[in-house]
Amino acid sequence: MADPLNTATESFDALYRSSARDLYAYVRTLLGDDASAEDVTALAFERAYRRRASFDPGRGSQRGWLFGIARNAALDELRRRRRSAPLLGELPDDHAAAPDEEADLAVRRTTVRAALATLPARERELVALKFHGGLSNAELATVLGTSESNAGTRVHRAVAKLREACHAPS
Amino acid sequence: MRHLDPLTPDEARELDALDRALSGLPVDPDLRAFEELVADLRATAPEMSPAFAARLEHDVAEGFPQPAERPPLRLRRPRRWVLLPAAGVLAAALVALVVVLGNGDSQTSPSSVALNDTPASKSAAPPVTAEAAPSAAGAAADSAGAVTAQRKAAPALAAPAPATAAIAPAPAPGAIAPAPGPRKVQRTAALALETPTDSFDATTDDVVQTVDRFGGIVASSTIGSDDAAGGEASFDLRIPTDRLDDALAGLSKLGHVASRSQNLEDITGSFQSAQDRLTDARAERRGLLRALSRATTQGQIDSLRARLRANSSAISRLKGDLAALRRRADLSRVSLTVRGVKDGAGAATGGHWSPGDAARDALRVLEVMAGVALVSLAIVVPLGLLGVAVALAARGARRRGRERALDPA
Repeated sequence: MADPLNTATESFDALYRSSARDLYAYVRTLLGDDASAEDVTALAFERAYRRRASFDPGRGSQRGWLFGIARNAALDELRRRRRSAPLLGELPDDHAAAPDEEADLAVRRTTVRAALATLPARERELVALKFHGGLSNAELATVLGTSESNAGTRVHRAVAKLREACHAPS
Repeated sequence: MRHLDPLTPDEARELDALDRALSGLPVDPDLRAFEELVADLRATAPEMSPAFAARLEHDVAEGFPQPAERPPLRLRRPRRWVLLPAAGVLAAALVALVVVLGNGDSQTSPSSVALNDTPASKSAAPPVTAEAAPSAAGAAADSAGAVTAQRKAAPALAAPAPATAAIAPAPAPGAIAPAPGPRKVQRTAALALETPTDSFDATTDDVVQTVDRFGGIVASSTIGSDDAAGGEASFDLRIPTDRLDDALAGLSKLGHVASRSQNLEDITGSFQSAQDRLTDARAERRGLLRALSRATTQGQIDSLRARLRANSSAISRLKGDLAALRRRADLSRVSLTVRGVKDGAGAATGGHWSPGDAARDALRVLEVMAGVALVSLAIVVPLGLLGVAVALAARGARRRGRERALDPA
């Protein structure tokens, strides 16, 4: 009979491999600075590791569960600081387009990055969860504590606002 | 949760295109803009620094070792204290329930009273309880002489009181100080026995023998034997007061004591009054006799003789009154009822614990357990629902509190 804890440990390792980059991207977008993002990402993985035996598959995917833990930690950090996180103003410049990219692609991505920075924090978080975290609508619903259709609607509203911001005159 | 209008078909199609693009699937040509947006967003996602990625990789591989100075994370275990008040409330409810059920049972169930009474009736019972003695003292102190001390099937008997017609008053808190000298007390008792039907006749015979043994008499008796009903006999007994307690103890051994009561009536006042009047009548007689010896006329002699006759009648009547009062003090009246019962609880077996009793007790235990379980459910279920509602509300409030961090400061 398989040891549940060992099984959970192997499962956690797989979860880490598949989610670490996305989770960091989400937290980094939400918090706005590297140091806090690294602390919160590490804390989220540590909490998830210690609670790995209590994960209930009936309540959603492992990925949604992990992002829920990270979100709570990030919101606690935000509450502690009680300041809104400027999104792109502090983004490192290494995300700029590579020199060999086409010029219009580089312009487009800069525009998207700037538009994202203008969104309210709630919409910004939705975009980060969906497109940086790569969560499905069902996983989003788990993280946000809402229904799947509601999560989808909110994502669509946020994307609509993002597109408006992209096309707004700078 | 905020209510949002459902997506229009076009919006739903756009959302679907976003999901397809996110999954790397092709989208409709008219929605290529969404595909590009997703690609741009994915491309602008922040990335971990190599140093942090290596550190996190190491922590995961090592299982997040605890620093020596950092206490281990305490997970959900400390929250178990929340269950303690609930457990306390439940335990208190169960105890209260058992107490209430126990009291209710002893007050309403005759069979239970009978069972409790059996040990007392089977023991060599001292006849007057410690509780009854002060009552007797109080009765003796009462000039009206009609205070009653009653007792029904007491489960335990305490120190015996003097078993004489002239009761020495015992000190009692709050009692009126008794008059000096011996008191005349009339005692009566009522005793109801139950006996198995097949030993009904033997029990009634034993009653007569027991009364004889203690020097008493059967003033009257009525014995009705009925095979169907089980039979019932009534005895009106006179027992020497100084042996009443022993006699009652002996009679109580003949069957199961269904009920027992005793009365004490102080007749000292009546006795003293009759005695004083007799003394006065005798003194009057002596005076009349002296006057008769000195009478000189026939008229005086006739008048004195008439008064002497009336005086003699009064003295005789007073002597009779005194004798009756003495008999009331010396002989106690006992009303005894013997009832034959078929398979009665406790009575039919003479107080022994039979398999039938065990079955009844087991059924009773099951009834009480079912009652306790039902009442517990009535308490626990609403409390549980309330707890769940509170937990959900607290969870929602905690979530909303966290999400306020996303609102503009």
